[in-house]
Amino acid sequence: MNRNRKRLSMVLVLAGITLLVLLSGRIPFWTYDERVLTTDIEQFFSPEHLVRLLPLAVIILAAAAAITGICWIRKRYREQDSMRARYEGMRSSGRAGKRQGRQKVSVFSVIRWSVMVVFSLLIIFGGIFFGFTIFGIDIPVLSCPTNRSQLMESSCYFLAHLPDLFAEYDAVSIALFFGSTILFALLLGRVLCGFLCPMGLVQDLVHLLRQKLKIEGFVMTEADYRKLVPVKWLLVLLMPGAVFAGGNFCDFCPALAVSPVISGLKVSLYFSGFMMILVLVGSFFKRRAWCNICPLGLMIGLFHRLSPFRIKKEPTACTECGACYEACPMGIKMIYTEREKTDVTDWNCIMCGECVKCCPEDHALALAFAGKKIYDASRKRVVSGYQDSEEQADFGRLSGAGAEGAGGDGAGAR
Amino acid sequence: MMGTGRKTGKTGKSGIEERFASRFLAKQEKTSAKYLRRVEELGEMPEALAPFLDTLRRVYVDMALPDALRGKTLIGTYCVMAPQELVYAAGAVPVKLCSGNYTAFSVGDGNAPRDACPLVKAVEGFCETGLMPIYRDCALMAVPITCDCKKKIAGMLAARSRVFPLQVPAGRDDGDITQYVEELYRFAGILEDVTGSEISWETLASGMRQVGRAQYELSRFLAWKKARHGLMWGTHILAVMHAASYLPADVWASSMRRLNDELEAKGEGSGRPASRKRPRLMITGSPVIFPNIKVPLLIEELGGILAADETCMGERGMSDPAVVVDESFDGMMRALANRAVRPCSCPTFADNTERIYRIRQMVRDYDVQGVVYHVLRGCLVYDFEYQLVEEVLGEMGIPVIRLESDYNEEDVEQLKIRLEAFIELIKFRA
Repeated sequence: MNRNRKRLSMVLVLAGITLLVLLSGRIPFWTYDERVLTTDIEQFFSPEHLVRLLPLAVIILAAAAAITGICWIRKRYREQDSMRARYEGMRSSGRAGKRQGRQKVSVFSVIRWSVMVVFSLLIIFGGIFFGFTIFGIDIPVLSCPTNRSQLMESSCYFLAHLPDLFAEYDAVSIALFFGSTILFALLLGRVLCGFLCPMGLVQDLVHLLRQKLKIEGFVMTEADYRKLVPVKWLLVLLMPGAVFAGGNFCDFCPALAVSPVISGLKVSLYFSGFMMILVLVGSFFKRRAWCNICPLGLMIGLFHRLSPFRIKKEPTACTECGACYEACPMGIKMIYTEREKTDVTDWNCIMCGECVKCCPEDHALALAFAGKKIYDASRKRVVSGYQDSEEQADFGRLSGAGAEGAGGDGAGAR
Repeated sequence: MMGTGRKTGKTGKSGIEERFASRFLAKQEKTSAKYLRRVEELGEMPEALAPFLDTLRRVYVDMALPDALRGKTLIGTYCVMAPQELVYAAGAVPVKLCSGNYTAFSVGDGNAPRDACPLVKAVEGFCETGLMPIYRDCALMAVPITCDCKKKIAGMLAARSRVFPLQVPAGRDDGDITQYVEELYRFAGILEDVTGSEISWETLASGMRQVGRAQYELSRFLAWKKARHGLMWGTHILAVMHAASYLPADVWASSMRRLNDELEAKGEGSGRPASRKRPRLMITGSPVIFPNIKVPLLIEELGGILAADETCMGERGMSDPAVVVDESFDGMMRALANRAVRPCSCPTFADNTERIYRIRQMVRDYDVQGVVYHVLRGCLVYDFEYQLVEEVLGEMGIPVIRLESDYNEEDVEQLKIRLEAFIELIKFRA
């Protein structure tokens, strides 16, 4: 009985999402009559362009209001429970300052964040700063708003508009489209998600904000992640499928409120605007919430077996402390429960390196490229924040004396 | 304090009780002093080891509180699963009360059932007599319920002290962690009530930093130990770890830092026990706690070296760090719960195969040639796992010996004969 009810509610949720995707074009968030693209820098700083950023401001304000509301409701709810109420003040109040003992920033994190910021800027503003065409190739290559004629890599748009693709282009171009898309998915896999995606950057920034404010997040368990699986697959079907049923996935996709709007495209936002609010709120409480259901990410993930980027594990070095699982934004549990295989790359893995960063056992986890470890787990790094700065206790000199010792900072091996 | 303070345990005692108390104390001091002497007699002792041995001497021979604990609110904890960080956050200092004392054991033996484990009997004995200051002065005792004996001792202790039993889950899945987080919130509340000071984000962060300092130094030591086999006598390392039970983490950490610095300065030079070729043994199984260190002492006195220890009062008790991935208060609590449950290779968990992997890794890391499986009589959970450990080590070609022992010295000769043969066997194989 209970099981049937669960199934029924899942079916209802899926039907609801389908309906929402199909009707998303009729739910306006912010509409314009015409599409205008900013093409030079002067125009970009003009007042009328800045007005175009208004929907973004609305989205951010709405998200901030929603987050405050959720925190408030959570507080009220917990006040019912005397044991929990006692720590409510600690649980969700903003506290200033860094926690002493936080592990030091690793080279890998710096690289990941820089790549993410640089790519997001290039994808969004590349066209404005560098012109839209270089050597006959339209740039920025990954940006759908400014680059529709170039088939290479602007896969996202055409995957959602397959009829356009088949109507407007010849067989060679279509082959080129699928070929290049698959090639990139093969080469990079979900490194695209962890390193290059502007949506990822936005979500990571919101997560960082929560960490700074010391506000408690939502903890998702394995069962919760399992509930997302049908939603993921439904969105994978709907992304190319919606257009055949009279919908337009772009009107649902929250990414429309990121690169196109920020790049200065005067574009109407339909349900995407509301979705973006949801994504901001979701990823504030749950890191990379959207990535967990992103259909494009899932499609790329399907090729993960062939990607040269791998997460390697030394099964006996692992103590099953679960720090990697706690840190993983995608909730991959197998990474700490696996005790036989040395390759623990999951199709959901976005290669963000959080698991390696948090792993306290030397060499137990590592991010490898083509068999070479580029980021290795190290106890030294995890406890680095606890080093007594005044007394200058030098961990490095000691452990460096051993063959590999506690392992140097993995990224240093590049 | 030393002379008179120790006799104030009970009020209005009769002559018999007084005689009993003085006999208890004399016997207790004698045993502890003897084991400390044997520890020192191993030789090749780093100078920085002295503060650790002094702490043990002060607690067990002088029967007094170490200076660093004077005037502090003491919270007794019984297991690695009671997070020390929380105790520091409440402005108190945790002491580990798991005991290896023979004299207290003989007192507890009369009250606890015959098949109860000696650790629990010794704890009972200390609380019963009220003669040990570190037990007497605890404002609260936190007893994680890790086995039936611990569960019952929690009940028995409640007659004399305030007790908080921590419900340890039987598994390590998501739900179990959530449950243990709730348990830690309850623990935090009790700690606040007992100490009268508030646990806040700041105090918890500083508690974590305090323990983190100790873990930093321990990690530094272990990294060095892995790189230089035979760095120190295993019994000396056990004494270092046992001293951590009776010292605030920051005090222990600074002593540890001096030890690390000294070992580093010594480098490859002489004065290391491994400068001679010795069979490298590892001890695992039931806790080995001062002064019940007869097995490690015998191993090293008979020509072996204790290269690694996988026991909860040894390195394992402190080495797993709490990894904070969420900077909020709740995130820190989760990190503590996660650290207490997931990496803990205590056989209280129904599925404990991770201990097997840990032993395999340690055999590799420390180049272990033989394993001593220590079973305290009545410690069923560890005894249950012997079979699997033996099987796995057999596959690896590592000989194992199961030593069952109690908290008395009656079996020393027998242990000696068996260990001697075991060490000879390893020498012969090598």
